[in-house]
Amino acid sequence: MSARRPHAAVTLAVHAVLAIATLAVLYPVMLVVKKAFEPGTTLSPSPSPVPTEVTLDHFRDLLTTRGSHGELAFLHHALASVIVALATTAVGIGLSCTAAYALSRFRFPGRRTALGGFLVVQMFPASLLMIPLYVLLHALGLLNSLTGLVLVYATTSIPFCVWTLKGYFDSLPRELFEAARVDGAGPLRIFWSIVLPLARPGIAVTALFAFMTAWNEYILATTFLTDESKYTLPVMLKASVGEFSADYGQFAAGAIVTSLPVMALFYVLQKYLVGGLTAGAVKG
Amino acid sequence: MTAGAVRRALRDVALVGAVAWLIVLVCFVRERNRAAAAAGISHARAAAVAIGAGERPASAVAAAGLVSAATPSKAYPLLRRRTVDDGAGVRALGGPTAPAVDKLLYDAAARFDRTGAFATVLADGSGRAVAAMTTPRGLAIAVTAHPEPLARLPWLALFGMAGLTFALAGLGATVGRDRGRALGIAVAIAVAAIPAAWWGGPIATALVLALALGAAVAHHRGATDRALAIVRSHRIALTFLAPAGLAMLVLVVIPFTVGLALGFYDHHHGRWTFVGLANFKRILTGDGHALSDPLNFWFILGVTLLWTFANVLLHVGLGTAFALVLKQPWLKARGMWRALLIVPWAVPNYITALIWKGMFDAEYGAINELLRGLGVDRVSWFSQWSTSFTANVTTNTWLGFPFMMVVALGALESIPKELEEAADVDGATAWQRFREITLPHLKPALGPAIVLGSIWTFNMFNVIALVSAGKPRGSTDILVTDAYRWAFERGEQYGMAAAMGTIIFLLLLAWSILGRSLTRGDEEARP
Repeated sequence: MSARRPHAAVTLAVHAVLAIATLAVLYPVMLVVKKAFEPGTTLSPSPSPVPTEVTLDHFRDLLTTRGSHGELAFLHHALASVIVALATTAVGIGLSCTAAYALSRFRFPGRRTALGGFLVVQMFPASLLMIPLYVLLHALGLLNSLTGLVLVYATTSIPFCVWTLKGYFDSLPRELFEAARVDGAGPLRIFWSIVLPLARPGIAVTALFAFMTAWNEYILATTFLTDESKYTLPVMLKASVGEFSADYGQFAAGAIVTSLPVMALFYVLQKYLVGGLTAGAVKG
Repeated sequence: MTAGAVRRALRDVALVGAVAWLIVLVCFVRERNRAAAAAGISHARAAAVAIGAGERPASAVAAAGLVSAATPSKAYPLLRRRTVDDGAGVRALGGPTAPAVDKLLYDAAARFDRTGAFATVLADGSGRAVAAMTTPRGLAIAVTAHPEPLARLPWLALFGMAGLTFALAGLGATVGRDRGRALGIAVAIAVAAIPAAWWGGPIATALVLALALGAAVAHHRGATDRALAIVRSHRIALTFLAPAGLAMLVLVVIPFTVGLALGFYDHHHGRWTFVGLANFKRILTGDGHALSDPLNFWFILGVTLLWTFANVLLHVGLGTAFALVLKQPWLKARGMWRALLIVPWAVPNYITALIWKGMFDAEYGAINELLRGLGVDRVSWFSQWSTSFTANVTTNTWLGFPFMMVVALGALESIPKELEEAADVDGATAWQRFREITLPHLKPALGPAIVLGSIWTFNMFNVIALVSAGKPRGSTDILVTDAYRWAFERGEQYGMAAAMGTIIFLLLLAWSILGRSLTRGDEEARP
């Protein structure tokens, strides 16, 4: 806490304690990695995080196991997840960009209400809307369809996207817009040719978050999708370690393959995430 | 001047009239569906009567016949079998080669045993009707083959009425002055009250009349002019906002409002009945369970609050402790420690939950193996409340502390170097520095993070559902998982689930308002 360096013994002790604590934190992850590379379908009988025998069987099985219709099960569900996450991102970002631009550039009655509304919705999670959404999707015939899931994900992602994008649009210099307006550019032209290209990094970051959220969503997917062939990866992974039959080897391999891309994304994006999440809470 | 006045009057009639006629349309659709259902039911009844009299039904049926009483199967006493006499002879109802409609007959017979004779539209959305009644020859059941044809919308009459509407409004606007115009608008919109009364009921009629009166008053006072002027001058902004606004309206605002309304209804086999505050009363009085029973609302609320408090305390405690260590300038490889310690945040939380569920497994779980190494007996984690709750809290602490650590670290890095140097020069003790410098910098950042974190934890569905799954006996359930059970595990009691959702919403709303005023107080108090 100060410029003074404590005694060497103290710093050594702190490093040692920190190393032990970090190992303890990483222990569950190490167990999963171990199980993924260790033969056998049951949980390992030894608590050591080092596998006694290394094999790639689980990954091979994961990628080659076929479902009831002869399709490659994991790739099939991965494709469903990719489609859902990409469509969610496209729809969510498409709708959010224009809204965020309106909220950032224009002053109009109801603007504060709209901003506050987006914030409140962001704080109250999807599980609250689940029953009415279930009834609504049922009425629209969109239960058990990826389209219904995309609609729900995209709308629940809009509030976060709008707030984050508004932050980026706010940071663009106002003079640019004035200059463009003087040159005779209309609002649509300004939005399309100036705002969108300049805010590209911000839009990319927001889009990646929307993708991550859709990729990781479990509870709505498991409630709305009843047909096994439509499961997204989270639902499929949960089903693989069911009450009566569990293949922990394949689960571990599947968990690693599923998590690695979003974990990589997370590390790239985490410095933006903290700002975005707490900004909403502070500014509101 | 007059032309402008006429145009304005017609515009207001068009805007408000559209809403009024929408109400009429809804009334028509409801009435049409009701009439079709009544026709279907009477056809099904007539068919059942015909079967009972030994005749052929006059209208087409999907299935019809005399169904016997249920007798227990010889081989499997729990299985109850029935036979059906469908005119072609007596055969067993159901079985591998039976037509799919046998299920409808069997279900209808079972319902007859419970409730007596009935006739209703099937709940499967097909629009077909079923009737079951006692006849001299036994229990007769008939299911109609097709949904009844729906009446067509009387377009001609509607166009005529719409024309009449505009004629009246135009007349009022051209002939009358200020009040005459307003009267013209009121009468013109009130025309819609006639079909509303015809197809709908007193509520729809009153609604239309209220709209007519409101439109006239608003027009007279110039309120519609002002509202339109606002829309017009902010046309661009509102156009940009419209797509997202519409999506939010359809998939968030409407479901949310519907959710609030559903709390006042009872749901049973696809049928909604208005029950007023009964659901809320049932929840808040514990639904007949003792206070110590895990199904009592207050018990669940207690568990939820304890769960939230314990987790947030551990998140903040662990997070701040790690942040204080990571912040030391003499620490080697700080970036590496930080990157490793936020791994739990990066792992998708349903995977985290499934991992920990495996680790707490009584038979093969790593936790029990580790404990055995310490000489502790095997613990069956999910068979008693305290250990099950501990397992949940451990899991959630693991996935939640990195967020607080990162927030705290950010706050600590914002402390100006000069401040610490000055404290050094003044010979402040470590405790004094913590109290006077570190804590005042931590508080404003951690405040909002704690409000946010507590809301996340309060709603942390995945951990509860995937780790303990409420075991034992639902005692580790929190409010959101219990609401889920009402909807999907206790016979689709959507009404109770929605009422629970409303209560959760009110609790969160109160907490976020309180939390925001608390954290704002902090910010203002900052020097």
